[in-house]
Amino acid sequence: MSALNQDNLSSNSQLASTFFEELLDSVIVDVASESHRIARLRLDRNLDEEEEELRLSAEARAKATDPSNSCEANSKYVVDIFGQTHPSVANEIFDCMNCGRSIMAGRFAPHLEKCMGKGRKARPKSTRSTTAAQNRQTRSNQGSTSSSYSNTASLNRLSNGSPNVGGNEFSNGIAEGL
Amino acid sequence: MSQRDLLYITPKPCRHLVEYKIKNGITGYNVIQSYIKSGFYSGKVIKNARSEIPRCGFCCGSKGRLYVCLICLEVSCSLFDESNHALLHTQSEYGHEIAVDVERAELYCFSCCDQVYDPDFDKAVMCKYGLGLRNGSNGVVGGELRYSKRKRLDFGVDLFLRNDKKLVWDNDRRSKSCFPLGLRGLNNLGNTCFMNSVLQALLHAPPLRNYFLSDQHNREACRKRSSDKLCLPCDMDVIFSAAFSGDRSPYSPAQFLSSWWQISENLASYEQQDAHEFLISMLDRIHEKEVKTKYPNKDNVNCHCIAHRVFSGLLRSDVTCTTCGFTSTTYDPCMDISLDLNTSSCSNRDLPNKVSKPTECTASSTLGGCLDLFTRPEKLGSDQKLFCQGCQERRESVKQMSIRKLPLVLCLHIKRFEHSFVRKMSKKIDRHLQFPFSLDMTPYLSSSVVRKRFGNRIFAFEGDESDLSTKFDVFAVVTHSGMLESGHYVTYLRLKSHWYKCDDAWITEVDEEVVRSLQTYLVFYVQKTLCTKSVEDVGCLPLSPRGDKFVPISGCC
Repeated sequence: MSALNQDNLSSNSQLASTFFEELLDSVIVDVASESHRIARLRLDRNLDEEEEELRLSAEARAKATDPSNSCEANSKYVVDIFGQTHPSVANEIFDCMNCGRSIMAGRFAPHLEKCMGKGRKARPKSTRSTTAAQNRQTRSNQGSTSSSYSNTASLNRLSNGSPNVGGNEFSNGIAEGL
Repeated sequence: MSQRDLLYITPKPCRHLVEYKIKNGITGYNVIQSYIKSGFYSGKVIKNARSEIPRCGFCCGSKGRLYVCLICLEVSCSLFDESNHALLHTQSEYGHEIAVDVERAELYCFSCCDQVYDPDFDKAVMCKYGLGLRNGSNGVVGGELRYSKRKRLDFGVDLFLRNDKKLVWDNDRRSKSCFPLGLRGLNNLGNTCFMNSVLQALLHAPPLRNYFLSDQHNREACRKRSSDKLCLPCDMDVIFSAAFSGDRSPYSPAQFLSSWWQISENLASYEQQDAHEFLISMLDRIHEKEVKTKYPNKDNVNCHCIAHRVFSGLLRSDVTCTTCGFTSTTYDPCMDISLDLNTSSCSNRDLPNKVSKPTECTASSTLGGCLDLFTRPEKLGSDQKLFCQGCQERRESVKQMSIRKLPLVLCLHIKRFEHSFVRKMSKKIDRHLQFPFSLDMTPYLSSSVVRKRFGNRIFAFEGDESDLSTKFDVFAVVTHSGMLESGHYVTYLRLKSHWYKCDDAWITEVDEEVVRSLQTYLVFYVQKTLCTKSVEDVGCLPLSPRGDKFVPISGCC
């Protein structure tokens, strides 16, 4: 009895193996055929340029992460290219256009906020970017989860922008003109 | 017809195909066409109506690759190592070299042992979709082609510098003329680096720069025209004048901030904000102002305000039923494209001269990969079934985005945040993103995406313009360092192949390599055709009636 089972097993696995090989061959030819068409029709024209860009980028990254390299990107500034130096808080003085007082540049924003009235702050208005108002509660320097032109239910994707994605109906519009 | 060749070329047929065509024309193709079946996932397949599985005429097997002879419709198989009945067929019957692969509906020449291509065959295949039946495909596409080309020229033509009005810079002793024009630091007015970084990018967006420097938004005329004292374009104009004045000491965009806060009350506060949000909000306000004063009754698609003329593109969204293939297409304008970061692990060959240990090989993303992700077909969840007119009931569907019309300036926004609904917090993704300095957007156009969906057939697709303007060059990169809640924005500008770091008031020059290794947040590309002539190349700027620093000089410079 066991011998029979063994035979069944081996012929089954042979069969499975055969099927797998056929499927694999079929898939390989599919990919080859598709790539052949792309190459012949020259749809992959930019391959060389793309690889060059990738190479340059990889080299740049390697250099940046190399500890022996000086971190010039983050070093403290001494002079700018025009030979000027600047204080950490901008010290240009000008007049506030709201109240007329002389204000130092680096402190202009906090001054203006008070100057224009506290009512300006944190009151969500129903403008185009209502989600911007929502995001203000969890204010972050970046991390707005949407922009006013890409409001959708799906946070991850830029939708087609129309708010009625859910109500889409199908039509045979493959060759639609504009 | 030759214009279309720019996007793809029609390969030369082998002599066997030529001979076949001379003798038989397209009769064979039309016969094959009647056998083509297509499902949503399987593409084009040749299927005999009677039996589901085609069998080889020689051996009655259905293993290996099956081919249908174009002359006699004999089906034969081709098992590579063992037996090639298809080849046998072509050898035994003279003139039967060309056959069609049953699985993929591709032409194959058994004399050349190669896949061959014929636009007429592809057209026959495509016509199975009913595409060729609408007024003849050439007619429809040809007409549209001319229309779109004309529109594009109209938009761009006055954003090129006019060479007929020539001027020379006034000699300003403080202007360091060996440095590019318009390069000037911006003072941080208190957590306003998000604003400064975007302003720097806009100051050097060629069409925007040309618009303001050629005085197309005249402040005096604007004051007279509108009673509304607030005008963001006017404030932009002031900033452009200041940046290009030759004065290199940092400028304080205080008036601009004040105007912007008055206009965008919900964003007016002394705190760190998002640069992308600011950009969109600003373009929005500029649009509103211009629409009110200059272009009433214009919709977003054809808006002529400077914000739309420069940044507006058109996105196409296709939603396809997975059961019957019916596709619903919608178009929507966009001012930028937000991209999710793709994940890809670097391979060994990408890191030259480095032994890559597992820990060092961190996953990195590429801009091309992000754009691929953006345009890849996305299966909508089973909870999002949409009503299909073809099936007349709710079906699962697949959505695919593509770009129908590219803007003059392409702003790509990298979504560097992950939101965890469980923990109710967002996290910043610091992963490096490779971005090219030269970008060809062809693969992400609607015509390319749709063509690929139909197997890259040689066929005139809608929107198949010879868009020379698919090639873009980077001119500004906005980076963010720090955390989600607090950090710092810096802009890097490319002017005349030099890169300049604009960190609020500090302008320094950096190597190209530094830029490539940056953590980008916003990447600004401009169409190649618009940036070949920089301000310096032209040598001079058009007349400004305000007569600030411009001095008219007759003759050429």
